[in-house]
Amino acid sequence: MHVRNRWFLLCAGLMSAVLVTAAACGGGTSSKDKTATAGAGGGGKTATTGTADMAPADQQKVVLQLGEPEFYDPHRSNFEQDIGVERMLFRGLWNLTDDGNGGVKVVDAMAAGDPQISGNVYTIKIKSGLKWSDGKPITAGDFVYGIQRECDADVASPYQYVLGAGIGELKGCDELFNNKDAAQKEALTAALGVAAPDDQTLVVTLNKPVATFKTVWSLWATFPSRKDVITQFGDKWTDPANIVVNGPFTVSELVAKDHVTLKPNPNWSGQKPALQEIRIKFIDDLSAAFKQFQTNELDETEILATDTTVARADSALKNNVLIVPSARITTIEVQMDDPILGANGLDAAAKEKAFKLRLALARAIDRKALVKVVYDDVHAPATYWVVKGLKGFQGNEAFDKAIGYDPVAAKQALKDAGYENGAGLPSFKVTYRDNQQRRNEFDFLSKAWKDTLGINVTSEFVDSKTRSATFNSEKFQLFQGGWQLDYPDIENPLVGLFNTGGGNNHYNCSDPDIDAAFKEAASATTDDARIKAYQKVETGVVTKLCGTIPMFQDAKPYLLSTKLGGVVPNGTVDAGQPGNYCPECWYVKKS
Amino acid sequence: MATQDAVRHGVRALGAEPELGRQRGLWTDAWRRLIRNRLAITAIVVLALVVLVAFVGAYVGPLARYAPNDQNYDAIQSGPSTQHWFGTDQLGRDLFARVLEGLRISLQIGIGAAAVVLILGVSVGAAAAMGGKWSDNLLMRFADIMISLPEILAIILLRSVLVGHDWPIVTNKKMIIILAIGGVAWITVARLVRGQMLSLAERDFVLAARALGASRWRIVYTHMLPNTLGPVIVAITFAIPGAIFAEAALGFLGLGLPPPAASLGTLVSSGYTVIQRNVWNVVFPASAIAALMLCFTFLGDGLRDALDPRSR
Amino acid sequence: MITYTIRRILWVVPVLWAVATITFLLMHAVPGGPFTEDKSKPESVIQAQERRYHFNDSLYQQYGYYLRNIVQGDLGISTRGDHQVTEIIRRTWFVTFQLGLLAFLVAASVGLVLGTLSALNHNGPLDYLGVGFATLFASVPSFILGAFLAVLFAVNIQIFKLSGWGGPLQPADIFSSAAYDWRKVVLPVVALAALSAAYIARVTRASVLEVMNTDYIRTARAKGLRERSVVLRHTIKNALIPVLTVMGPLFAILVTGSFIIETMFSIPGLGRETINAVTARDYNVIMGTTLVFALVVTLANLTVDLAYAVVDPRIRYS
Repeated sequence: MHVRNRWFLLCAGLMSAVLVTAAACGGGTSSKDKTATAGAGGGGKTATTGTADMAPADQQKVVLQLGEPEFYDPHRSNFEQDIGVERMLFRGLWNLTDDGNGGVKVVDAMAAGDPQISGNVYTIKIKSGLKWSDGKPITAGDFVYGIQRECDADVASPYQYVLGAGIGELKGCDELFNNKDAAQKEALTAALGVAAPDDQTLVVTLNKPVATFKTVWSLWATFPSRKDVITQFGDKWTDPANIVVNGPFTVSELVAKDHVTLKPNPNWSGQKPALQEIRIKFIDDLSAAFKQFQTNELDETEILATDTTVARADSALKNNVLIVPSARITTIEVQMDDPILGANGLDAAAKEKAFKLRLALARAIDRKALVKVVYDDVHAPATYWVVKGLKGFQGNEAFDKAIGYDPVAAKQALKDAGYENGAGLPSFKVTYRDNQQRRNEFDFLSKAWKDTLGINVTSEFVDSKTRSATFNSEKFQLFQGGWQLDYPDIENPLVGLFNTGGGNNHYNCSDPDIDAAFKEAASATTDDARIKAYQKVETGVVTKLCGTIPMFQDAKPYLLSTKLGGVVPNGTVDAGQPGNYCPECWYVKKS
Repeated sequence: MATQDAVRHGVRALGAEPELGRQRGLWTDAWRRLIRNRLAITAIVVLALVVLVAFVGAYVGPLARYAPNDQNYDAIQSGPSTQHWFGTDQLGRDLFARVLEGLRISLQIGIGAAAVVLILGVSVGAAAAMGGKWSDNLLMRFADIMISLPEILAIILLRSVLVGHDWPIVTNKKMIIILAIGGVAWITVARLVRGQMLSLAERDFVLAARALGASRWRIVYTHMLPNTLGPVIVAITFAIPGAIFAEAALGFLGLGLPPPAASLGTLVSSGYTVIQRNVWNVVFPASAIAALMLCFTFLGDGLRDALDPRSR
Repeated sequence: MITYTIRRILWVVPVLWAVATITFLLMHAVPGGPFTEDKSKPESVIQAQERRYHFNDSLYQQYGYYLRNIVQGDLGISTRGDHQVTEIIRRTWFVTFQLGLLAFLVAASVGLVLGTLSALNHNGPLDYLGVGFATLFASVPSFILGAFLAVLFAVNIQIFKLSGWGGPLQPADIFSSAAYDWRKVVLPVVALAALSAAYIARVTRASVLEVMNTDYIRTARAKGLRERSVVLRHTIKNALIPVLTVMGPLFAILVTGSFIIETMFSIPGLGRETINAVTARDYNVIMGTTLVFALVVTLANLTVDLAYAVVDPRIRYS
């Protein structure tokens, strides 16, 4: 009688209270219309900070969400959030901006125009009158020192290779970085291909001419560094009290693990920032960040795909949703050394069987449904590998017929391989990073493969480092992976990934036609020929499913407060936190 | 029997004691006390019902409408309806079927962990108590080390170490969780048993048995262990919901069972990410956990009251 | 008693050493290291990075190096930003301790009061309410409670705030009023305290009930003492002993932080840091945080055992 009923009532009462109030959506005031899907439109740096639109200076503050950067030193940074914040603090010779078409274009930052090219020697003029945040002038020598640090093995920059062979081709950089003999270090540093004959002139010597020179020299790896500051403070030079920057903002406060506050750099020579304070809160749990946006504690945040549906259904939030396509394709990677799936090293008949099996797996995935059900239509289905916005982009039209969704063709391919309805096949193991979305993705895929093909798959859900270690050790059958573009050129997602013996080729794709296309690209004399050759590589990789089965191109959903203006998302090929190319363009609108 | 009748007659004849009833053992006494506890009885009934439905009923009739892994992309994230009593999840799976499976798995894990706790706890605790000062010290310090290691850390590390190897038993995912949870919880029971046995060792009946020449083993087995069983049973009864809870926490951290299997913990964890989209995905599994906890708690309370000769 | 105390205190060091060694071995047995990534950086880069932190020495060397440094109070540096581990622990624990202490105080007061009232009103309406509340909140995992509270009382009914900790984040801020925001404090404290409060309430109730049935309480009543006197002077004091046993470990748990609550409310605490370090394979931070945890737990247990002996004169340790 009594206790049980009372308990029940208590329980029910509690639950109903929760439900009633959860159903009654609270919410802020509805705001101005703002539906922005990035990548198209917007176009270029918005220099319009119309004063009619702007709130008074004491309201020019924003709070953003980001993962915590490990370093604020561009020569030690590895992760997107580090680089994103550094873009607000530093600038290199050139800067990137959205070209309105998913791509990026290069604009002058510290450099005064294009470099003068004579053989392997590039001469760049640096704008005069530029100052660091402490008032000292920016000189070519600062750029030289920055490069010396980037190629220095003791600094151990994770992106040194951008300046090395195959990409930046900077003379002497690889030699200095790989040097283990302390006695040689000074000589090798002096032999680096950077020199500053005078304060406004930077002379860069390469091993051979590089078409992407300006793009490479807009990356954080080439940002200038102040020798006196770093010598004085050592690793502590990025502390708020010591840091010296040449970008639009500088660090005013840093509370480790919690937040960093930026304020305008008084000596910044470019467009004056309208914002007086940018507070970046370090939040990894995107579900929690979504809630904090709703309580108005955040003005911008990345959210989970499933929360975009909630936001779109909420009248107060639907104008805040911003989907920014990323330069990343998510795929199921296949270990080509596996005797059934890849048949590397076996005879032609076995290889053909394996190809048909991979084809069946690829054609049984309904990418549109996958993206809709698991990711709430945030990502874009893809059968291609080179992302939109890159020169040489081919897109779905090129590859849908070959590997796109077609259950009938999938069954046929499986039959041709001799495994009709999955007969004779063991169950395959897929390695995944453990989070809720990937779990749903796995469930979707395993059902698709089971229902259409009769193939069983088991899963291995592990944490991020274990997954990376598994990938690097090549001990996998199927692996949920992908590639995030490092810099906006077609060679980045191809070189090293699909050539036999490539450093990132852990699925052991090894195909003579693909290798031939790589050689063709390496020896191409014109940029067009080079790009055509790389397109051949992509075609070969995708149509032969050499180690990879593309599924979709990623996009990141963000919530952006409508009170913020001037935020132009970066081009797809270099997307990060929206608008971090030009934080000086942001402003808070008058309410 | 004749002798007994004679005794009874004789006693009555003396006009002393009232009618002697049937002889009752201690366990029967306890059982009777338990039955009289309405909360405990309710708990037992509810638990039995849950077990019945989860393990048997789920495969029968209207309860078996959907398999836990049937995906239906036309009915994503729907609330409760006649079609789906508890609603559906992100992939259109029937939540009622998933919760039943969750109950199955969570109960298995809970009871498995409790078994580990029972075996390890009683044996190590008894060994510590009976093995002399040195072994007692050693075992207690070992227990100290085990509880000083942060549990989540140990589990994460253990799991990562075991992944990728194909060793028998230990790498069965459920076993890993059972061992991980039980592997920490047994210490409290070991301490309890040790404490009990140390104090029992000074009691008269044990001294008497020793004086009569009973072997150590016999003393422990026949005399001491049964007397420690009371608190131990209670501890085990509380260990089961504790294990279910711990499994829920592990599932929330992503350390639970891999998909498509869903324990209550993984259901709650996946529900957390959609709490503002479809709150039922959290409410029902969480209620299931709460219900199990409540039942085991009331049962444990009831057992403690029943087995403690001093209460009421 | 003194010898027992000294012996127990001396045992702390070997226990910590054992914990450190187990963690060290487990940590290195786990696949992946701090610089493992999908994108293979060139071998030269990885080696250069590992050299910075001594991670390419042999395990034996690293172990020795590490132990030697601990003795000097140096716990190494974190691979995520080169911060001193001691600094990280100091900052994060400063916050976690505030959260844990508040949660403990709330849990203890609510639990004790509720448990006592329940017991005193045994089988009455207050008892059922108390038991109901206690068992209910002991049945809901803290993350569920936290999530519901956050959605209900911050998002839908905008009373409280969710982003970060509402107290000083560094010792320097203790006296700055800008550092305090009570609206950020309530939800995480409640979410953390609920389970412990329920547990303490149950244990208190059981203990008080048991004491109330003892002979000496009956004697006190029979003597004609006033009910309040009976309760306050005799019952509660004696009932506290088992409750103390429970509160010791609870305090240790609360004070070393809850990863789930800290992540949910973006609180820069030790619990969150521990798990993040494991995920990132930040070896030095893992070792540092584990040692802190082990120290706190061991000391808490030791304190409880000693307090037990002080409070209950019947207990004697050999």
